[in-house]
Amino acid sequence: MAMEKIARKIPVSLWSEASEKLIDSILNSPNAGKMPSDLAKTILYYWQRDQLATEVGLQRLLEASMILDPEKTISLMEELGLPEIVAMLKETQR
Amino acid sequence: MVEFGIEFVPRDLYWKTTFYAIQAEKIGCDYLWITDHFNNRNVYISLAIVSAYTEKIKFGPGVTNPYLVHPVATAQAVATLNEIAPGRVTCGLGVGDKTTLQMVNVEQTKPLATIRESVRIIREIVSGETLEMQGEIFKVSGAKLNFKVANPVPIFIGAQGPKMLALAAEIGDGVLINASHPIDVENAIKFIREGAEKTGKKLSDLSISAYTSFSIASDYEKAIKAVVPVVAYIVAGSPEMILERHGVSVELASKIRDAIVHGQWKVAFSLVDNNMVEAFSICGTPETCIEKMDKLVKVGVSQIVAGSPIGPNMRKSINVIAAEVFPHFKEMIGERKK
Repeated sequence: MAMEKIARKIPVSLWSEASEKLIDSILNSPNAGKMPSDLAKTILYYWQRDQLATEVGLQRLLEASMILDPEKTISLMEELGLPEIVAMLKETQR
Repeated sequence: MVEFGIEFVPRDLYWKTTFYAIQAEKIGCDYLWITDHFNNRNVYISLAIVSAYTEKIKFGPGVTNPYLVHPVATAQAVATLNEIAPGRVTCGLGVGDKTTLQMVNVEQTKPLATIRESVRIIREIVSGETLEMQGEIFKVSGAKLNFKVANPVPIFIGAQGPKMLALAAEIGDGVLINASHPIDVENAIKFIREGAEKTGKKLSDLSISAYTSFSIASDYEKAIKAVVPVVAYIVAGSPEMILERHGVSVELASKIRDAIVHGQWKVAFSLVDNNMVEAFSICGTPETCIEKMDKLVKVGVSQIVAGSPIGPNMRKSINVIAAEVFPHFKEMIGERKK
């Protein structure tokens, strides 16, 4: 639920860039082994259908990225200039 | 017409391999080959997952071997995959990787007879026949699948030596030439032609694939760095004749082999020079890769397989292939999906 709300805050104009950054982060994460299999399959489902740069796709990517590398995910959102999302992601960690 | 294949090694987590497989399909690759080594993830389970997330790309083990997996088990596996992905399944078969087989004390005895009999077993079992065979290697008494296979499964044979290349052409639907250099591939095609002529086939009846070690990146140095470990293994395992053809010192190759055997990876990789990289890989920027791929097409290959490592960053390298390489071959391959 939290990620759904957070993903909704990403401006449409940044969907593509955010998706690219999150995909790279997930694929190259040293913690890739922490990815829950069900979540991986959902991401593959959206990838096959070109929906990773949509609200639902971003929601799953954010969820995965926060499991694998929370600090890096927050830093990526900072790079994208999304302070509200940074704050919300930090909140999920408390 | 030239087709493009891509090879993945299922060392990676299953979802990463599947992610890249989806990407390969999206950019328009024709074939996906997944390697079969017991110490990586299982090839057929990997392919089954890939089949569920793709719709067009053809795929198969690239390659499995009959020393560790009995041909009836291979026939069963590809027949089952064919049910999940009708008409998209191929079967790559070869003698296997010597180093990996040695770990389980399996010898590659009588390779030609083993491959010849294996192809017969796989082909007949997949076609629904009841197989009776008293071969030199395999004895099969009344083996038959309990289910029907709707589509044929083409068999591609991985080969490097003259006799295996000729056999592959004689009995296979395709040949996977284990080489990256146009000179090696041109030389291999001579033996393929001989094998094809034995059974009245034309070269155009066969899929002739250069199964290359491939590394592409916009940064030349990064592409080279990624391919060096693969080249080290190829040099270590290459016959003297091949090394000499490319002016690679046999003594130096022996040093690399020793270093690998003793786990001295840094030493092994540091001994790999530019000449070895040039001889045993397609590597570099898109321009340098295209130049070599063009030569492979000119000597007669109908499929170029981009094999491990693909590049320093898998996802980016696949995108580079789509953006820089495929457009160059557009006239030969028709309009590809970007």
